[in-house]
Amino acid sequence: MRVTVDQSRCQGHALCAMHAPDLFDLDDGGHAFVVADPVPCGLGEAAYTAEAGCPEEAIAVEPRRPAHAGQAPS
Amino acid sequence: MSAETESSAPVFCAAHMLDSWDERYPQAAFAELATATEPVRPDGTLVVAARQDMTEFLRHRAVRATDGVHFNLGGKRPLIPLDLDGETHRRYRGLLDPLFTPKQVARLAPAIRARTNALIDAFADAGSADLMPSLCGPLPTYLFIELLGLPATDLPVFLEFKEAVVRPVGATEEEQQANMRAAGDRMYDYLTTVLAERRAEPPRDDLIGGFLTTELDGERLTGQEIVDICYLLVIAGLDTVTSSLSCLLAWFAEHPDERRQVVADPGSLPRVIEELMRFESPVPLGHRWVTEDIDIRGRHFPAGSKVEVIWAAANVDPNAFDDPQTVDFARPHNAHVGFAAGPHRCLGSNLARLELRLAVEEFLRRIPDYGITPGEQVVYTNYGVRAAIRLPVTFPVARG
Repeated sequence: MRVTVDQSRCQGHALCAMHAPDLFDLDDGGHAFVVADPVPCGLGEAAYTAEAGCPEEAIAVEPRRPAHAGQAPS
Repeated sequence: MSAETESSAPVFCAAHMLDSWDERYPQAAFAELATATEPVRPDGTLVVAARQDMTEFLRHRAVRATDGVHFNLGGKRPLIPLDLDGETHRRYRGLLDPLFTPKQVARLAPAIRARTNALIDAFADAGSADLMPSLCGPLPTYLFIELLGLPATDLPVFLEFKEAVVRPVGATEEEQQANMRAAGDRMYDYLTTVLAERRAEPPRDDLIGGFLTTELDGERLTGQEIVDICYLLVIAGLDTVTSSLSCLLAWFAEHPDERRQVVADPGSLPRVIEELMRFESPVPLGHRWVTEDIDIRGRHFPAGSKVEVIWAAANVDPNAFDDPQTVDFARPHNAHVGFAAGPHRCLGSNLARLELRLAVEEFLRRIPDYGITPGEQVVYTNYGVRAAIRLPVTFPVARG
């Protein structure tokens, strides 16, 4: 599983780093970057949650969450 | 505000025109607006209220912060960085963003805790207080003065200024704008004087000291640039945190079960605060201008349109949040726009979060059991920002 942050979209809301510090950190300008790629075992749900919780739609997780998995972004 | 000014003052937000509007509980009207089809104000201003339209709209390069004529909040020049766009905006954000990262603001934590406790000391033995004038109002202003390196005795200058700009007095929009500009002029003069004094002194380790020595593309900032940045920080940093803190403490006063959860688990506060920022949305809206004909998710925005973007509506949009009218601290993901979104997302959000978290944490540690004073009620305003402008609480006095 891969997770990426689109730097052209990230505006530094910092929610991903707040809720999933094992996956994301903030650079000196306060913008997010991925610290664990590929996504380590056990952090898959956290990656999907961060993706759905990004106000700028800057986080993308591959593969996509299966449609029946409940919390998928609509 | 007198009845006369209320009847003829311009309507601040499209949601205020709905029958469902309720000052105390505005979330119902905001949700109605979020699900309306292509809402427009009677004066023709387009409204973006649906959460799913917002992100795409805000990041479009033709969507701008100003039309180059109208500046925000009493500014006579473009506020830096709020009223700038494109590459100019990116340059200033590149300078300012690093000053307000979570790591940078964390060093203010001891000062925030100390100031919060000093303010609580003044009423802790009384068993009752109005938390707006005794805590929520002065706290962010004191901290801001420390951050800039200004004397604490200047507190009244800032309190008067922010009140005049955020809730301008006047019977008509013209009068309000004139009063706002007059207050703005006084703040420009004050900051210009401060800056001249600081230039004559040895450099100090505070924000003004930093602005005096920093370089943007190899050049020092001009005095006017520093004054314009400070003006923005004053206007953006004072009333927003005051209002947010008042909303949070009012909410906890009226929700004792949830308050006890937080008292028992202060570590949950970051998530709790994000959820309450979603639900309360203290800064309800912003304006944008569209510079060319664009279409966003099937809606047309003609060139030259002024657009009211309502964060508070998006945050209770049932198409984006499960059960948005319920405050759910365990909400699995929370892509709220309580700090706005797009290139002008709140510069100071990490400082605001820290102030809110530590102030609530210290308040609940000192006064875990409190409620609205019997026979009284919370009075909210939703004009400019949402705030509990009257927040009378009663609590048992700790002995020993």
